[in-house]
Amino acid sequence: MTTLEQAGELELAPQAKSRQALIVCGRIGLAVLLVLAWQAGADSAGELYFPQPMEVARRIAQDTLTGALPWHTYVTLRLSVIGFALGCAAGILLPFLLRRSPRVTRAVEPYIMASVGVPKYALIPLFILWFGIDDAPKLWLVGLLVFYVVFIAIFAGIRNVDSRLVTMARVAGASESMIARRVIWTSLMPFFFAALKIALPRAVSAAIIGEFLVGNAGLGFLIEDSRQQVDSVGVFTGILVATALVLAINAVLERADRHVNAWRPVDRHMQL
Amino acid sequence: MAGDAILEVHALAKRFRPRSAGADSPWVIRNLSFSVREGEFLTVIGPSGSGKTTLLNLIAQTDVASGGEVRFRTQVAPLGDAKALKPGLGRQIGYITQDDNLLPWRTCLANVLFPLEVQGRLDEETRSRARSLIEAVGLAGFENHYPHELSGGMRKRASLIRTLVYDPPVILMDEPFGAVDAQTRAVLQQDLLRLWELGHKTIVFVTHDIAEAIALGDRTLVLSRPPASVKSEHVISIPRPRDVGSILARPEFVSLYQTIRAEVT
Repeated sequence: MTTLEQAGELELAPQAKSRQALIVCGRIGLAVLLVLAWQAGADSAGELYFPQPMEVARRIAQDTLTGALPWHTYVTLRLSVIGFALGCAAGILLPFLLRRSPRVTRAVEPYIMASVGVPKYALIPLFILWFGIDDAPKLWLVGLLVFYVVFIAIFAGIRNVDSRLVTMARVAGASESMIARRVIWTSLMPFFFAALKIALPRAVSAAIIGEFLVGNAGLGFLIEDSRQQVDSVGVFTGILVATALVLAINAVLERADRHVNAWRPVDRHMQL
Repeated sequence: MAGDAILEVHALAKRFRPRSAGADSPWVIRNLSFSVREGEFLTVIGPSGSGKTTLLNLIAQTDVASGGEVRFRTQVAPLGDAKALKPGLGRQIGYITQDDNLLPWRTCLANVLFPLEVQGRLDEETRSRARSLIEAVGLAGFENHYPHELSGGMRKRASLIRTLVYDPPVILMDEPFGAVDAQTRAVLQQDLLRLWELGHKTIVFVTHDIAEAIALGDRTLVLSRPPASVKSEHVISIPRPRDVGSILARPEFVSLYQTIRAEVT
């Protein structure tokens, strides 16, 4: 950065700070508005459809103290993480294996792309039939949803790698596995993180849907069980906690992204 | 001269695969022969589009020849089958391409160390070699900058020493200073001469700039219009060490420049 640019930034600093404060105020204001709207909805629609926000807050506090809510959250998180890890590993490995053989790639590509079109949630009954009613069918669902997102991103990313960099590495004496790790994998990072931003929330959603149908624990079970008991406070509690879970995962991901892709020139200007 | 040749190119020919079946693609290189002595600084001049980069790709084995022979010491490059190629011939041939091809996610220092790292030769000795090269080309203080934070000239220097750091016996250079301004270019040329005089590597330096070819080389080849072959050859007897700035005024330089100029146009 030149000194001229630095000077420009220094002058901008106080202005940027007040802008930042304005954004924070706006966010808090919107949150208040949202809760007010919820309250108004509850008042006009009736408790059965729209429970009072205070009721939900009380329930969250209560169930957290008894340990029920943390337990359900843990069950869903565990399912999402294991399913995600499996799907993600497969989604990374397969494109790297296909890279070794362009001919095999050309042969299987249409089949893989066609299988993207299969609605994964429609497969749940099959999974239950095949894998029983433990974690297995839910893991398959989560894994499969994650797999496609990661696979497509990595597959496209590998095709986008600058071939001149690969040639440079080859001339410098890098082995194929070195090139895969040091050149291709690293240049994939932006693609990979874009995929994660879609895949991780999707993994939690899939876990919850799986829990609607199979099992007796997890946030999905909590929501569905409450619905069956006409306990709309319970339904709202489950939804709120699930949302908070996804937001927490996103925040961790955002940090990792910023750390890993710190070299990218765009990131420096994007930060407020 | 053929006796101590480190690199020999004989009757080399190249045409790219035709775009459509049945059509014949034109020859890019045809019947091109020359040899390079150990420790020689050979420059190659040719009009743009005359297959200079293709020639270097064939020598570096990043592309496959259609005919003829490229021999490095006793190794002959394979013909026809791109899979049998050995890019860089097991680190024997360094290749500095037109683009700097620095890895954008690595700092300047990490880029320079990249070949050593992938070759498994990163130790105290090679690290200190990298450090002294970084100092020699004036990149000290910029070790932790990313490529996009460096100027064009600095990136060129980084890509130059990234090849020098692992010490290949032959270095190919493809218009390495083509994209920088005239002033930086003169400094880079002087840097290159200084580095070369320290180690006397064998260099094949491709350029379309006649003055550059004369100022740097022991000998220069002039390529014909495509299909490329060697049109003429000139030994440059200007004594070394040379000063890139004052060399332009020497009478040998001027007469050689005019001769080559007449051949190129």
